[in-house]
Amino acid sequence: MAEIVLSGHGLTKSFGSAVALAGVDLAVAPGEALAIMGPSGSGKSTLLHCLAGIMKPDQGEVRLLGQRIDTMGERQRSELRRTRFGFVFQFGQLLPELPAEENVALPLMLGGASRGKAVEAARRWFGPLGLAGMESRRPGELSGGQAQRVAIARALVTKPAVVFADEPTGALDQATGHDTMRLLVEATKHNHASLIVVTHDPNVARWCDRTVEVRDGRLLVPAAAGAPLPGREPNGGPYGGPARPYAANAGPAEPYGGDRPVAGPGRGADTQDFPVVRP
Amino acid sequence: MRTTLGLSWRLLRGGGRNGLLGAGLTLAAVAVSTALLLFAVAVNLAFQGRSDREAWRTPVRAAEGTATAVQAVHQDFVRDRVIVVVDVARLSEGAPAPAGMRAFPKPGEVWMSPGLAELVKRLPPGQLGDRYGKPAGILGDDALVYPGELVAVAGHDRDDPAMKATGRVIPNGSSVPPTPVRDFAGQESMNGMVYRSLAIIASVLMVVPLLVFGGAAARLTVARRDQRLAALRLVGATPAQVIAMTVAEAMLTALGGALAGLAAYAALSPLLSGIEIGGGPWFASDLWPGVLPTLGVIAAVPLLVGVSAVVGLRRVVVSPLGVAKRETPPGMRALRLVGFVAALAVVPMLSRDTSAGIIAVVIGAAFLAINLIGPWVVGIIGRVAARTARGPARLLAARRLVDDPRAAWRTVSGVALTGFVAGFIGLASPDATLFETGTADRLRLSVDAGKAQATVREAKARLREAGLDARVTLDEPGDGPGGPADRDRERLIQISVNGGVDRVDTARTALAGLVPGHVPSTLADDDRVSSYMLGDIRTGTVVVLTVSFLIAIVSAGITAASSVLDRRQTYALLRLAGTPLAILDRARRSETLIPLLVMGGGSLATGVFCALPFASGGLGSTTGVVTLAVTVALGLAGVLGASAISRPLLRSVTANPAPRPD
Repeated sequence: MAEIVLSGHGLTKSFGSAVALAGVDLAVAPGEALAIMGPSGSGKSTLLHCLAGIMKPDQGEVRLLGQRIDTMGERQRSELRRTRFGFVFQFGQLLPELPAEENVALPLMLGGASRGKAVEAARRWFGPLGLAGMESRRPGELSGGQAQRVAIARALVTKPAVVFADEPTGALDQATGHDTMRLLVEATKHNHASLIVVTHDPNVARWCDRTVEVRDGRLLVPAAAGAPLPGREPNGGPYGGPARPYAANAGPAEPYGGDRPVAGPGRGADTQDFPVVRP
Repeated sequence: MRTTLGLSWRLLRGGGRNGLLGAGLTLAAVAVSTALLLFAVAVNLAFQGRSDREAWRTPVRAAEGTATAVQAVHQDFVRDRVIVVVDVARLSEGAPAPAGMRAFPKPGEVWMSPGLAELVKRLPPGQLGDRYGKPAGILGDDALVYPGELVAVAGHDRDDPAMKATGRVIPNGSSVPPTPVRDFAGQESMNGMVYRSLAIIASVLMVVPLLVFGGAAARLTVARRDQRLAALRLVGATPAQVIAMTVAEAMLTALGGALAGLAAYAALSPLLSGIEIGGGPWFASDLWPGVLPTLGVIAAVPLLVGVSAVVGLRRVVVSPLGVAKRETPPGMRALRLVGFVAALAVVPMLSRDTSAGIIAVVIGAAFLAINLIGPWVVGIIGRVAARTARGPARLLAARRLVDDPRAAWRTVSGVALTGFVAGFIGLASPDATLFETGTADRLRLSVDAGKAQATVREAKARLREAGLDARVTLDEPGDGPGGPADRDRERLIQISVNGGVDRVDTARTALAGLVPGHVPSTLADDDRVSSYMLGDIRTGTVVVLTVSFLIAIVSAGITAASSVLDRRQTYALLRLAGTPLAILDRARRSETLIPLLVMGGGSLATGVFCALPFASGGLGSTTGVVTLAVTVALGLAGVLGASAISRPLLRSVTANPAPRPD
């Protein structure tokens, strides 16, 4: 069995008499991109909130690198979310009055980095994400796709173990959503982070290595980490096949083709492309 | 129109918990505004009422041949209180009864105010009652400045010495020598005019922050509706419909708030009428502004809120996309600075002799100028702070100041404007050391130089008869109270009484009528009215500052809460992503405290500057310094408290487990 970064075991959660999770087992491997699909009200967002330490499950346990996180206090979980997890939401997560670079630098500053270092580190994400020149623009002056890319940079800037994305393309048109998903998956893998995407859109799920489906609080087919569901083989994304260029962090090979917006000129596919300031 | 109204009503009710909370905040803000506005109106009418009721004691000299009576007014004293004594004598049968009396008093009769009648009963006759003639009636309230005031109207024969006396005229109008009058309509006293002027200035100091606050409250409603109205506009509502709906909604809320404010004012007015000004409290009717002014306020408040809403909405209506795109608002120009300087440039031209109306206008203008320059300065502070910020909380706060300096100003404007009030009053207040407290046991009585020796003998005899241990001396010529001109005409008799205040009052009673038109008084007595005025200015300061602070703190609390509501999604998402609540809270606090310190200090200085032409106590006046210090401390505490109040709100909106945009 592959190494596990994040796992949930026997997760249940009810809101009053409404059962949102009725016993879910799920595990995510390092660098794996997992899509959680399901119709509205199926419990997929609740699952994400439980896995991300936002919510405590009624029963079951959540482990990050073997350590239980569901029993931690709010303060510890908050710290964990800030340092070990990254988040990309549908929209509205950027502070409208902060320039893009400061939005990205914020998690580093919250971690104690000096403003100068944090902004410097943040700026290095703009080129690879196709945002060169947008550093001092404010969210209101960015397009929806650009804003989501800033959000991706902010999610990754702390070098998290897992990035959670809740309908990351929900507010975008199809073409922009396509580009955003590609960047999200590429940049996450590039940083050796796992990715958990909650979506109801098969086109989004297609970008991930594996998809699980939630119905009425249960996984349709319980799945183990790194074992793609039969018939759910990723079929449209560039990393769908077994030969995933970033999964193993393949040395100095040029990771991005010329037409890919993430291309960092002359850079290797190591983490130098997405440098991280650690306090 | 009915559809529009119906839809507005449904939107208002269907706005959900947050919508209702927003409407509730507006309602509360409007209620506070209305109550205070009613108070500001009532204060002016109340002083007008006092002036009207006091007017009969300031006689107007009748034209030759038209006089029907003679009237003289002087002050007498008991303990530490003033008794207004009005002496009247009938000249012809046609003389009307003075105010508050059923009939013209016959010679030897005295009519007393209820307060004086009670005091006469309570004190031994030798200390008070024996000074007056036979009690014949009780004065009505329409003759009294305040309930419990001590007033006596004594009837005399037209040839009585009291009606012939040449009394000193005390400049504040509290003493008038015998004057032939046609009737008792009288005229407004100097004192009354001064109080009314001060009331006007106090009203300006209260109303300006109220208007700013009211505008903020109205915009609060609109800010909360921006998104939805832009959406309505996008689905094809006409600008007129959008405006009508917003205005209807804002005005419905405001009307509710105005009625709540009226109720609150009615509930509070018994408390307010207990505030002592000019020596006493108020009649309940004084603080009732009357039907028309009340209706005016109740109608004007929703109207103002509606207008403010329309202005706030212009953006949405002009461009349906404007709000959705969150464009940067246009920057403010330094032109505001010019306006501010221009308003202040007029101040040095004022003096104590400038009429109260002009002073009120100039001070109002300077006051408004602070409000003009406020957002501009806040923007500059924000840019400086953003450049120098090191930590995340400070950076968040600074960026927010730059992003919306107007909103940041709205939060602190109330307290900052209070700084102006405190600075103004702090300097303009007279210092207590200006007034005599004197020795309370030494009575002085001025007398015609020719009768001086005889009067001293008579005084000694009367005091002995009253069983008092007193020493009576006659001042050397030249020590008279009236200066060189009086030197030959008047001498001053000094009477030192041992044994405490009741002995002094016994001496006063024994010496009553010794010199017609004059009563013995201590130095403290002579300054009694002036020191009332000093006390009143202090009371006024406390009232105005309390009102200002009430506005300031309520407005800081409301804007802080609405800012949390407006940004709840971003706050919630930041919290989900692990941002500590403490950082968000610290950012919110800095966002208020930074501009507060700068603008509070600035407007305090402006207030001091505006008070310079009227300064009497000097900068070192203790009262002023204490007022300023207390103001600064209360201002900071109030704003921090207001921000702390919205903390649970922040916690609750960020604890929402499903941060989907609503």
